[in-house]
Amino acid sequence: MKGAEIISKLSTILDGEELIVSSNGNVSRQVYHLLQGDQIYLRGSMGLPVPIGLGLALAQPYRTVLVITGDGNFLMGLSSLTTVAHIKPHNLKIIILDNELYATTGGQETVSSAIDYKAMIQGMSIDSVKSYDMRDDENLITEMLKDTLKEKGLKVLHLKVEEDTIQLENIPHHPREIKDNFVKRL
Amino acid sequence: MIETSYFLNHLLDHGFTFSTGVPCSYFKDLFIALEKDDRISYLPATREDEAMGIASGYFLGGGKTFLIIQNSGLATIGDALTSLAQLYQIPLLVIVSYRGLKPDRDFPEHSIMGDVTKPVLDAYQIPYWIIEETNWKVVLDNALEVMEEISRPVCILVKKGVLSE
Ligand SMILES: Cc1ncc(C[n+]2csc(CCOP(=O)(O)OP(=O)(O)O)c2C)c(N)n1
Repeated sequence: MKGAEIISKLSTILDGEELIVSSNGNVSRQVYHLLQGDQIYLRGSMGLPVPIGLGLALAQPYRTVLVITGDGNFLMGLSSLTTVAHIKPHNLKIIILDNELYATTGGQETVSSAIDYKAMIQGMSIDSVKSYDMRDDENLITEMLKDTLKEKGLKVLHLKVEEDTIQLENIPHHPREIKDNFVKRL
Repeated sequence: MIETSYFLNHLLDHGFTFSTGVPCSYFKDLFIALEKDDRISYLPATREDEAMGIASGYFLGGGKTFLIIQNSGLATIGDALTSLAQLYQIPLLVIVSYRGLKPDRDFPEHSIMGDVTKPVLDAYQIPYWIIEETNWKVVLDNALEVMEEISRPVCILVKKGVLSE
């Protein structure tokens, strides 16, 4: 499965009340085009989707906050997951779409292939972490996404994915509008 | 020195209930006061850019946040500032220690950032003020007014001895 296919799949599971933060580049474009709602589409601030999601989850404890991030973004802000581990917000869900690439900038490799995500994240005392290779297996995806989103508590879902092939248009909003739309929605 | 509990009370009066950052010894007493005060929570971040991310997310969720950082962290927040907080128009109060001036002559690690702190803030286009024991309320109120008006981060610079012995 590709990252965009997993994001599409999410549309069948989300109830529309979730607050989503998406990492810059392709992931934000996919979330913008494939999912509903006025979400926080990051256009820059590489490495920061997890802390932004953390702050949002703390300010909105009754809403589910979902961070969707590429592996490049996740690894750049890796230490922020230790902060998450320290706080363990019950309403924060993190999905890592790991294509082992900086796909947005032309497909250069990241260091992701060296990492055992499950062991690393468990080592941060986040026991709920799950890690699956989705590259030639579509089974269980619905179940995994449901488990991540519908079960209570902090969840981290790491998915190895194939490289995307779809090309999506740029997000047609200035960050000012992205913020205003999101704040209005709340 | 500013009475740190007055300082926090004043921030509370302005609606701040959440803070994050990375410590500096110039804020030692402020941190002691913060720890005692359960009306304002403080979340320790691992990096200053992370702190700015957390603060921005907290604001987007409807809260009001201030950051406490050392000026060395001004080097770390560049992208968080320019491509997040300033671009998405997120008002934040950034309280920054002004290290690398005369009292820090035995701390060469701060000397260059001390020299470039103001030019860096100018280059980032962040409005900033220096607060002193004698004028802090007026200056802080003014800074917060500007922050609300422009809906972007503003900085206050804090020299040695102002918010800690
Ligand atoms: C600080 C910073 N460095 C570099 C970039 C350029 N850049 C934009 S998106 C991106 C790749 C992000 O990779 P990942 O999160 O894995 O997502 P993917 O592109 O693979 O979907 C890079 C390097 C940037 N925007 N900001």
